[in-house]
Amino acid sequence: MSIESRAESAAEPRSEHAAEALPPLDTAPTALVALAREAGYRGTPAPLAETLLVARPLLAAAGLAVPDGQLTVAAGPLDVRFTHVDTDSRVGPSGAAGTDDALRVSGTLHRVPWARAVEAAVVLTEGPGGGPVLFLLEATEWRQLAGTNLAGEPRDDLVLLDVAVPAERVRRVPAALVREAAWRSGLARAALIAGAARRCVELTVDHTAARVQFGRPLSHFQAVKQEEAKLVEEAALVAAAVEAAASALSEPDSAEFTAWLAAAQAAASVAEITRIAHQLHGAIGFTELSPLRLATTRMWSWRDEDGGERAWQQRIGRHVLDGGSGGLWQQVTGG
Amino acid sequence: MTLSALDPGAVQLPPEAVQLRQEVRDFLDTERAAGTVLGRPDSWLTGWDPAFTRRLARRGWVGMALPPEYGGGGRSNLERYVVIEELLAAGAPVSAHWVADRQAGPSILRHGTEAQRSHFLPRIAAGACFFSIGMSEQESGSDLASVRTRAERTASGWRLTGTKMWTGGAHVNDHAIVLARTDDSEDRHAGLSQFIVDLRDPHVRVEPIRLLSGEHTFNYCHLEGVELTDEALLGRPGDGWRQVTGELALERSGPERFLSTLPLLSALVGQLQRTGGCSPEQQARVGRLTARLSSIRQLSLGVAAALAAGRPADVQAALVKDLGTRFEGELVNEVREILPIAARFDATRGSYPELLATAILHAPGYTLRGGTNEILRGIITRGLELSR
Ligand SMILES: Cc1cc2nc3c(=O)[nH]c(=O)nc-3n(C[C@H](O)[C@H](O)[C@H](O)COP(=O)(O)OP(=O)(O)OC[C@H]3O[C@@H](n4cnc5c(N)ncnc54)[C@H](O)[C@@H]3O)c2cc1C
Repeated sequence: MSIESRAESAAEPRSEHAAEALPPLDTAPTALVALAREAGYRGTPAPLAETLLVARPLLAAAGLAVPDGQLTVAAGPLDVRFTHVDTDSRVGPSGAAGTDDALRVSGTLHRVPWARAVEAAVVLTEGPGGGPVLFLLEATEWRQLAGTNLAGEPRDDLVLLDVAVPAERVRRVPAALVREAAWRSGLARAALIAGAARRCVELTVDHTAARVQFGRPLSHFQAVKQEEAKLVEEAALVAAAVEAAASALSEPDSAEFTAWLAAAQAAASVAEITRIAHQLHGAIGFTELSPLRLATTRMWSWRDEDGGERAWQQRIGRHVLDGGSGGLWQQVTGG
Repeated sequence: MTLSALDPGAVQLPPEAVQLRQEVRDFLDTERAAGTVLGRPDSWLTGWDPAFTRRLARRGWVGMALPPEYGGGGRSNLERYVVIEELLAAGAPVSAHWVADRQAGPSILRHGTEAQRSHFLPRIAAGACFFSIGMSEQESGSDLASVRTRAERTASGWRLTGTKMWTGGAHVNDHAIVLARTDDSEDRHAGLSQFIVDLRDPHVRVEPIRLLSGEHTFNYCHLEGVELTDEALLGRPGDGWRQVTGELALERSGPERFLSTLPLLSALVGQLQRTGGCSPEQQARVGRLTARLSSIRQLSLGVAAALAAGRPADVQAALVKDLGTRFEGELVNEVREILPIAARFDATRGSYPELLATAILHAPGYTLRGGTNEILRGIITRGLELSR
């Protein structure tokens, strides 16, 4: 089975169309997170979490119009110049100052989620005069090198060959927005993991109830019960962290830290959740015959995207250590 | 299949809670300055300080969720949650009133007679009446329904005979709620009843059992023909099992099931901050513990909210207790690795090596007390079966 066709089969357990109507822009953040979890649960073959929780809020924050349809997000260094160069400017090298924000962009954006499936990508990079810029790229403007993650989900490289981006699609943005893009991506990934974790639990519980060995269903054995309970607990832990981050999304003061916590916990829990789910599935879960892989291979991929648990943990730890001994508890309780 | 246990949803604490939290923190700052709050691990088990309890009670923070007509504060369970989590996080000495506040009070309110309520509840809320749990026996640990302590009918009430074991605080508290067999019926769960026993009764003999650390909190509690009137019966005869199970939900779901060792982590953070220059490895490990701590706390808040709304939460409580108590032990080990300084029980009290030593010596208890984690996981999987 080729990687491409695995990506197709990613539509299980319920086939979902990428072009399905997206929720309106003013949907409550908690509802958006719930949709991302649902996408993680179903393995929806589309960048729903990226669109709802990252791309659309970033565009709105930057004051750009939000196009219809699914979007993806990419960040990274590019070669960026002004299209309309201010020839009188003595600031920086040639092309570092312009008469408006129209840009010419070259370079490669790596492992962009679902690029082949979207109409447009939100790109964050360093602007020509220094300082971050955000711009919207249309799918016709890049060349795509197909790639996938462990689960066969598209992670394509986008090659930009001197692409002209008109000024109305470009915004200079504050550094805080770059940070926000990072924690929003972490939260989006955590929501997907929470959904997939739930799927792991359901598949495992169904399996241990149905599978008979030694004349009894597996779920009747103490040792199986013990592991199954730990699986449920770990999944519940991720769900709780994601829900807390979801309700903090509308509170500017605590949104970032709770998103870090959710991202760190979700990524860290993947190992235990997938270990137990696979162990209790026995050999069948180790094959393409069982739908378990649709959840576990994605979770193994997602935990490493956007930085991985170690990066999130370090961010949290630095923050806590800056706050001193009383700071830890204060951070946890939100003040 | 519904997996509601998996997803209790986020809880927003009421706005009063923010104000209340600040009041508790201010109070704790004053107490800390006076040297009474020492940031000790497991302070709800061993931090016995009746004077501290009375100062808390004067603020309305003992029995605070009991109704005002019985001397309680009439506050919500979520407000109580905020107060107790602040006390535990600070490692405050709360063990004197812990069981009375958490378990005995709500249990007497729910099952007690009017006379029992008006006698005990105001005293509990005043921080003047302390309780022990008399459930376990030598042969009845995980299999609690096998208890052998008997209550026999007498002309004027009941006579209690048997030996309870692991009875925390029986040597310093006023009363114990004792689970005893009142009927040898076929169904082992049907013949049990609960009694409120005066621990100063001449027929109660308390014998110490020391912890690994040498501390004395545990006891044998020998009930040598204790004569009780009918007024000592809590709830209805034969309802003991149902009542105990309800009590266990209160016993299992609280923040003491994941905060016992938090003061050690706070001490570590303080220590690292003072020495400066943390390695990325140390930062990441502190961050990992913080993420897990706050995720468990979110789950625990979910249980508190469910209980406050009168929804059953036994399965969720079991889940939080298993996760939380495993975390308490894991934290000790992690802290040890993050800042490897040899633990010393004989080091200056309150110093990092001494706190670490206390936490290590207490660690085996975290996953035993209140029902072992293996048993709790059985409750979780039974919950899964029932939800199918
Ligand atoms: C710090 C502390 C404070 C306590 N305070 C009190 C108190 O105040 N009042 C009171 O009444 N009691 C108290 N206890 C007692 C406590 O409730 C019991 O220790 C607990 O219920 C376990 O019983 P046990 O020690 O007899 O262990 P056992 O029941 O003998 O179990 C030993 C081991 O076998 C495992 N096991 C047993 N049965 C099963 C099974 N069916 N499936 C899988 N594994 C199993 C257990 O999980 C455990 O790991 C306290 C205990 C501690 C540690």
